[in-house]
Amino acid sequence: MSLEEQVKELVEKWDEDGLKNLCRSVLDNQEASAEELLEIIGNLMKYIGSQFENEDIFLPDLIGAAGVVKIAIDDVLDPVIRASGSEKKTLGKIVIGTVESDVHSIGKDLVASFLFSNGFDVYNLGVEVTPDEFINKAEEVGAKIIGMSSLLTMSMDFQRQVIEELNKRGLREKYKVIVGGAPTTEEWAEQIGADGWADDAIETVILVKKLIE
Amino acid sequence: MKMEKLKVLSTDEIELIHSASMELLSTVGIKIDAPDVRELLQEKGAINNDNTKFVKFPENFIEEQIKKVPSSFKLHGPDGSFNFEVNTHDTIFATIGTPIKIYDPEKKSGIRKSLLDDTIKQIRVVDSLKNIVCSHVDVWPGDIQFTTIHARCIYEWAKNTKKPYGLGVYGKLASTDMMNMVSIVVGGNDELINRPRLVGFFNPTSPLHLPQIMTNGLQIFAKYKQPTIIAPEALAGSSAPVTLAGLLAQTNAEILGGVILAQIINPGAPIFYGTVSHITDMRSGNSAIGSIETGLITAGIAQLARFYNIPSRGPGLVTDSKCFDLQNGFERFQTLLLAAQAGINYITCAGTYEATLVEALELLVIDDELAGMVKRAIEGITVNEDTIGLETIKKVATNEKPGATFLAEKHTRKHMKQELYMPIHKLINRNRRSTWRKKGSKDIIASAREKVEEILRDYNPPELSQDIDSELQEYIKKVEERTINDYMKAEGMTSGSVSLPGTDISIKET
Repeated sequence: MSLEEQVKELVEKWDEDGLKNLCRSVLDNQEASAEELLEIIGNLMKYIGSQFENEDIFLPDLIGAAGVVKIAIDDVLDPVIRASGSEKKTLGKIVIGTVESDVHSIGKDLVASFLFSNGFDVYNLGVEVTPDEFINKAEEVGAKIIGMSSLLTMSMDFQRQVIEELNKRGLREKYKVIVGGAPTTEEWAEQIGADGWADDAIETVILVKKLIE
Repeated sequence: MKMEKLKVLSTDEIELIHSASMELLSTVGIKIDAPDVRELLQEKGAINNDNTKFVKFPENFIEEQIKKVPSSFKLHGPDGSFNFEVNTHDTIFATIGTPIKIYDPEKKSGIRKSLLDDTIKQIRVVDSLKNIVCSHVDVWPGDIQFTTIHARCIYEWAKNTKKPYGLGVYGKLASTDMMNMVSIVVGGNDELINRPRLVGFFNPTSPLHLPQIMTNGLQIFAKYKQPTIIAPEALAGSSAPVTLAGLLAQTNAEILGGVILAQIINPGAPIFYGTVSHITDMRSGNSAIGSIETGLITAGIAQLARFYNIPSRGPGLVTDSKCFDLQNGFERFQTLLLAAQAGINYITCAGTYEATLVEALELLVIDDELAGMVKRAIEGITVNEDTIGLETIKKVATNEKPGATFLAEKHTRKHMKQELYMPIHKLINRNRRSTWRKKGSKDIIASAREKVEEILRDYNPPELSQDIDSELQEYIKKVEERTINDYMKAEGMTSGSVSLPGTDISIKET
């Protein structure tokens, strides 16, 4: 079995430990570099993402695979790349979360997984994320994009508060801010001064790619 | 546990209906037109009256015959590679109807006369479906000479599907043609008898009448052991009592009449204990197959079939609606769900509407999905340590990461495809409005049409050898040479009428 096939099998089985062990042994035996492994994993995730887009696989398949891969990257590959003094290749870093007072995570997790499977480095902060948490994380990791989700009309206004906080701190120009979630609209995004709005995970990838250019 | 079967009759009530049917069969009997059939029954112990044409059956005679009916049998497609079992505990789904028109969005009326091309398309679509296991001469080929339709349909069946097929048991001659042609396809009579390919439909005429054309055909189907559906289409309030109990007692006698006859002709002949009975609409006098009572009658029949330990057949997916409206949707689903809940073993009529007079291939694909959903419902809820998933609940609930869900849990992935019905044709729309709009704001009929087009475009016909093909064509030529009078003579009928949807042929005695 080729390395690509081994990786694919482990990812599709959600075998975190298996994938980590494989990465470690490949690195130890110098069969491939961390960058090469990352590329193999990246291509696989693109493939899984396209399967999801074509409705050939289901949501847990995508989110689960993304989760397994992310652990292997964070625990094994990323430290090796950092130790060599460089940084892993990525289309861009994105900080994403559901805003304060809102605990809805499924749509946001889907967007995060889909961005990740399309080659972005995603920092998923979870739910009820405060403006400080969004901004501090973005500053810490050097993100280019802050993505905010909201599923409640009641919580939508917290998206505006994050932007206001960025303005207050003089950091607004440093980030592209995008918003999404069922009650939000393109008009809403404009109204609160966000840089973009997307309707679903697939459109988010298109939007983010455009913004990063 | 699996869903408990719906019951509309208590054990005592089943006994009461059974006794009433026994009384009908033993004191009034069943009117049987065919003299040779009456004679045969008399020989075997029934009481024949040639003047009234009624044949009475003593109770012990009836019980003896019922015992001979197999409780399960298999049906095979032309090459035998596809087959399924019909038994008294599983539920499977099929077509059957009498559509003489077909949905056509390009016509102002929305429908047009169905043609052989439509018949072929229907066979092909059924062949591609997951849950609909058998097609029958549903879509009437209106452009084919009436007397050759059975032969043409068998030919197209052999060329276009891997699934079994069904036809009405219309007479000795046509039924013999069916057996001869299918024997050509499968490599001989023995193969056909050992591994049946055809479903026959035998419809007693209510009340208490087995017409000659039908008993003639049944003789052939039973002889070749091709599973035959004995299904009266009694209408509560017109051809049966308005009371559903009365209808059940009467139709039970009619079904048992057919069952007895089949067993006398060939002991062990496979039978579906069937129904298409429904009600008379008391305002218009029209039949109402989509009525809620259809489901009740069908459920009663399911219970009676189990009482006799014979596989049952009943209608589901039926509606009186003339368009694709809510009535079409709720009637087809209510009849389907009640039939399935009641444990009918062979639920039919997929793809039809307007009391099965019109076909829509779009509905056929939708019905495949509905059948899948209903199959899931019957499975009920599986409860064990693994499905309760206590560890997973604890893990997710106490996850330190806020917003953790069950989506990325192995438990979800392990069980999702068994627990959740995954729609197979992508017709059921669960998208948000914005996504739905982006994808063209399609309703389910439009999506189903695309699916039908895709199926027909990608369709690969099974291989039929050139020799068999030629032999079948030769056979059809012989059939084409016959006149309607040849048929009447063969059936021993000097006058009478054959009434099929869209076709009324009357022959006056000369």
